[in-house]
Amino acid sequence: MARSIKKGPYIDFRLENKIEAMNKSGKKSVIKTWARRSTISPDFVGHTFAVHNGNKFIPVYVTENMVGHKLGEFAPTRTFKGHTAKKDKGK
Amino acid sequence: MTKDECYEVGKVVKPHGLKGEIQLLLDVDYPEDYEDMESVFVEIKGELVPYFVEQIKITTNMVIVKFEGIGNVEAALKLKNAKLYLPEDQLPETEEDSYYFHELIGFEVKDHQQGILGKVINVFSFPAQSLLAIAYKGKEVLIPMADQIMKKVDKEKKTIAVELPEGLLEIYTEEEKDTAL
Repeated sequence: MARSIKKGPYIDFRLENKIEAMNKSGKKSVIKTWARRSTISPDFVGHTFAVHNGNKFIPVYVTENMVGHKLGEFAPTRTFKGHTAKKDKGK
Repeated sequence: MTKDECYEVGKVVKPHGLKGEIQLLLDVDYPEDYEDMESVFVEIKGELVPYFVEQIKITTNMVIVKFEGIGNVEAALKLKNAKLYLPEDQLPETEEDSYYFHELIGFEVKDHQQGILGKVINVFSFPAQSLLAIAYKGKEVLIPMADQIMKKVDKEKKTIAVELPEGLLEIYTEEEKDTAL
């Protein structure tokens, strides 16, 4: 079931506070975060987040077309390295 | 011909019809550039096998090809899901301000404040944003390939000018601290 519209999008409050403070001061430094479930709000545009993927931090530069998506969508957790080719079994 | 000398151009999707025609997926911006393709390498059990194109039809969402020596659906089925390669020297020339990702490997990355950082060791392509991986002080540092960060790519000097956001390098160089957000 989708999230209730009444509640508005979920945005991690600590992230929101940090962004608000940065926007006020005009500073743009990288924000380290584990809040993959946080929705990207329009205030995030132009900022760079280091989103943890369970192993390391993936830098995500937020652009306008990312608004409304979750931060975690841009830090993939799995690396696909392809399937190994089937080998013919000898008798 | 080895894989190192080639680039992956797409893959075989499935047979088309009963006469040995094959549907291809060309992972390129302009499939129509490949209308005059005479041959292509098909990866079979890790080896690149050349196939000569008898006929090729390119429509808006599909590429149908007929290879020489493949005349029925059974032979076509054997190539299903095989990757397609072309020699790197057949790549169409890029414009001055554009580049292929594989060309960037080995380029020197230079920050406007911190100077030379290191060389590009890999390029990761993700749907939303691609990343440059550079070797910096023995560690792998990832840089988003956004216009606001990657300012200029000089193909002649093999350098990339970047304006890194404050604190990006420190994420990879400093020890793990629990400053969870």
